[in-house]
Amino acid sequence: MKSKIKSRKLLAGPYLFWSVSFIVIPLLIVIYYGFTSKEGAFTLSNIAQTTTPENLKALGLALLLAFVSTAICLIMAYPLAMILAGMNVKQSSFVVFIFILPMWMNFLLRTLAWQNLLEKNGVINAFLSFFNLPNLNLINTPFAIILGMVYNFLPFMVLPIYNVLIKIDKDVISAARDLGASNLQTFSKIILPLSKPGIISGITMVFVPALTTFVISDLLGGSKILLIGNVIEQEFKQSSNWHAGSGLSLVLMVFIVVSMALIAKYDKDGEGTAF
Amino acid sequence: MKNVMKKIYLGFIIVLLYAPIVTLMVLSFNNSKTRAKWGGFTLKWYVSLFQDESIMNALYATLIIALLSALIATVIGTMAAIGMQAMNRRFRTVMMGVTNLPMLNADIVTGISLMLLFIVFRFTLGFTTILLAHITFNIPYVILSVMPKLKQTDKHTYEAALDLGASPIYAFFKVVFPDIFPGIISGFLLAFTMSLDDFIITHFTKGPGVDTLSTKIYSEVRKGIKPEMYALSTLMFVTVLVLLILINLSPSDKKKKVLTAQAVKRRRISGILLRRVVPAVMAVVIIGGGIFYASKNGSGSNNQVIVYNWGEYIDPEVIAMFEEETGIEVVYEEYETNEIMYAKLQSGAVAYDVVCPSDYMIQRMIENDILAEINYDNIPNITNIGAEYMEQSEQFDPGNKYSVPYCWGTVGILYNTTMVNEPITSWSVLWDEKYTNNILMQDSVRDAFAVALKYEGYSLNSTDLDELTEARDLLLKQKTLVQAYVIDQVRDKMIGNEAAIGVIYSGEAIFTQKENPDLEYVIPDEGSNLWIDSWVIPKNAKNKENAEAFINFLCRADVAFMNFEYITYSTPNTAARDLIEDDDIRNSTIAFPDASELERCETFQYLGDDVDAIYNSLWREVKSK
Repeated sequence: MKSKIKSRKLLAGPYLFWSVSFIVIPLLIVIYYGFTSKEGAFTLSNIAQTTTPENLKALGLALLLAFVSTAICLIMAYPLAMILAGMNVKQSSFVVFIFILPMWMNFLLRTLAWQNLLEKNGVINAFLSFFNLPNLNLINTPFAIILGMVYNFLPFMVLPIYNVLIKIDKDVISAARDLGASNLQTFSKIILPLSKPGIISGITMVFVPALTTFVISDLLGGSKILLIGNVIEQEFKQSSNWHAGSGLSLVLMVFIVVSMALIAKYDKDGEGTAF
Repeated sequence: MKNVMKKIYLGFIIVLLYAPIVTLMVLSFNNSKTRAKWGGFTLKWYVSLFQDESIMNALYATLIIALLSALIATVIGTMAAIGMQAMNRRFRTVMMGVTNLPMLNADIVTGISLMLLFIVFRFTLGFTTILLAHITFNIPYVILSVMPKLKQTDKHTYEAALDLGASPIYAFFKVVFPDIFPGIISGFLLAFTMSLDDFIITHFTKGPGVDTLSTKIYSEVRKGIKPEMYALSTLMFVTVLVLLILINLSPSDKKKKVLTAQAVKRRRISGILLRRVVPAVMAVVIIGGGIFYASKNGSGSNNQVIVYNWGEYIDPEVIAMFEEETGIEVVYEEYETNEIMYAKLQSGAVAYDVVCPSDYMIQRMIENDILAEINYDNIPNITNIGAEYMEQSEQFDPGNKYSVPYCWGTVGILYNTTMVNEPITSWSVLWDEKYTNNILMQDSVRDAFAVALKYEGYSLNSTDLDELTEARDLLLKQKTLVQAYVIDQVRDKMIGNEAAIGVIYSGEAIFTQKENPDLEYVIPDEGSNLWIDSWVIPKNAKNKENAEAFINFLCRADVAFMNFEYITYSTPNTAARDLIEDDDIRNSTIAFPDASELERCETFQYLGDDVDAIYNSLWREVKSK
């Protein structure tokens, strides 16, 4: 029996090789660049770049916007996931696909389409004018960026929560009801705690891309609003300063490590995976 | 009541998700070429889509990469999931941690780290590197889909099968595999979708001549998205939608525990469809596609020229003509800014044969010794280029050794006469509070500072820290009035009456005026930037003679004329200018301003890496306020 388990382990061999070559080594290269200067000497100045007022502001704003959009995603996604989980199997699998379907329209095009909707002479304002309502100044504001984030990342919040919710044993809920729990009590004492792994994984899956995006802030923020993702992108693409870019990327990775630690703490069995 | 609420909520979310998609679909039927204007209903984009070779190639590359990467990732990922389940807890946690990395890591970091890997290990960036990158970020999706299913399977059934004499492989395929099959399929589909939707990672790992739809669209953002793209997206979306509806309509009677004979039969058929037909179709597509791709790329690969140019900066017809006349295959790639081009060239990941940078960047490249001297014996058509432009070039290329002018122009103010009543003569209008939130500013360091420096009466090549800080303060003051910092969207936005005033390149001004006659272009009295984009040949070019043939071809009068008609940027080719029949355009002060107007203009110079760093950090201060 033991040898069979051993041979099963070998199946992970190709992936082990792959992950070392294409995940671990590239990250080590980033770390190398992050801690060296152009002359190749060790330095902490790339990391220290984070503390300049501009970069701190970009980081702070990115954190704020990511936080707000994650919160909105959570508030919108939870009821939605509950509605979906309450449907019968056939219907709900279809509805779940409805959330993946938009990804077949290119991400850049979808975000660009929001420009059309939000612009001064865009669809929404045309609609408002039609009803003689005052026009809204939507495009190129932080609001537009948050909207773009919520729009793009909402599925990543809905799916993990949905996946956890459908796994909750219906008998547990019935039992709570039988024991006299009200709707609210059933929700707060049974459903919410049981769905925690899904919530945690949803939060990380929205928060990290929202924190690091540069495309959404570029297209919907009119490049007036600089997020940390934009700063990194500019370091690589405009200043071609790989060292500074790598240093800032490393700082970003700190946040990723924190979210991974959160996941590991609350989601011990990997139940809250999105898919 | 509760159900109604649920339905309303669901409806609201679906409207939110699909509003942009409907917008894109509507745009695909829009007769006007820009996004900003509705020009009536048309189907012409659907027709021209299938004639557009570059889009079809991008579509094909996208699908092949998505399919191959999803398939390979599914195999490796499923094997890994099974193997990891057999590991002890600690090692498994480490492996899962590594697996989570690409999913949690910012795409930009993943993309950059892979790019650095490929460059450090001297991989040639191209189709293979995109594929490797996509497999890398796809495997985690597969593992995370298969793992939960694997956990649900009862280990004892597998052991029972072994006890009953089944070989491990037999037992796996008969017992475990059917249980985890849904997980494998959903992992595959997810991987496929993610690969299809990816932009950032592809952007960093791609090489010349290969484009996926995402990178193609990104390069088109510069000069406006081709409406064919909307048509293609609509078609793809509708195809998937129809497929999904078909799958969901086919009855899968999961609820009924007792299956009728008919249902069993139906199930079996759908099982065969899923297990035999779908893989078979995929295999055919991949093999067929592989052969198609190989035959396309393999032909005459020795006789080619790798061109690296600004987005939408050449008439595709010109490239086709060149290929036909010379038999040299053109591998074409585009970039968005001088800085991006320089970063890529310097990394040495790809050996480009001919590149089209602007003045100050050419100077930088000459100083850093990465350009090759051009052999003018191979470019007899150089005589078509006006002497004054060659003289201008001496500013950044003394002796005209390295560059051949391609296009030139000025930077000025484009304004909408329905929104601006006064004649504009000065940059000061960009600081006029009347136009709060109605101003579009250039989103590139040198151009933005040029405006502020010129307004103050300084040189746009200033290296004086006091002057630069002054310019920064001006730009900071201006920021509250600016609607958006843009590069090329300024064109669409001005056409769509989104703003009153925009800072724009003269070449774009002609196009915008054609689309919206209310627009007027002016070079402010304080003077502005006079720029020249020229062809140069990098030192590491592998096909230098082909590159010279290409430059020579572009200098031919009829070709330069054709090109001018298409891109509307001023040509230094005086022979081509004589071919322009439309007097309005030949004598247009926008395309060919008077010498007196140009006297006030300056050409950018390369100021050295240190001064560049100062510009960049001051600009970042402006942008991050």
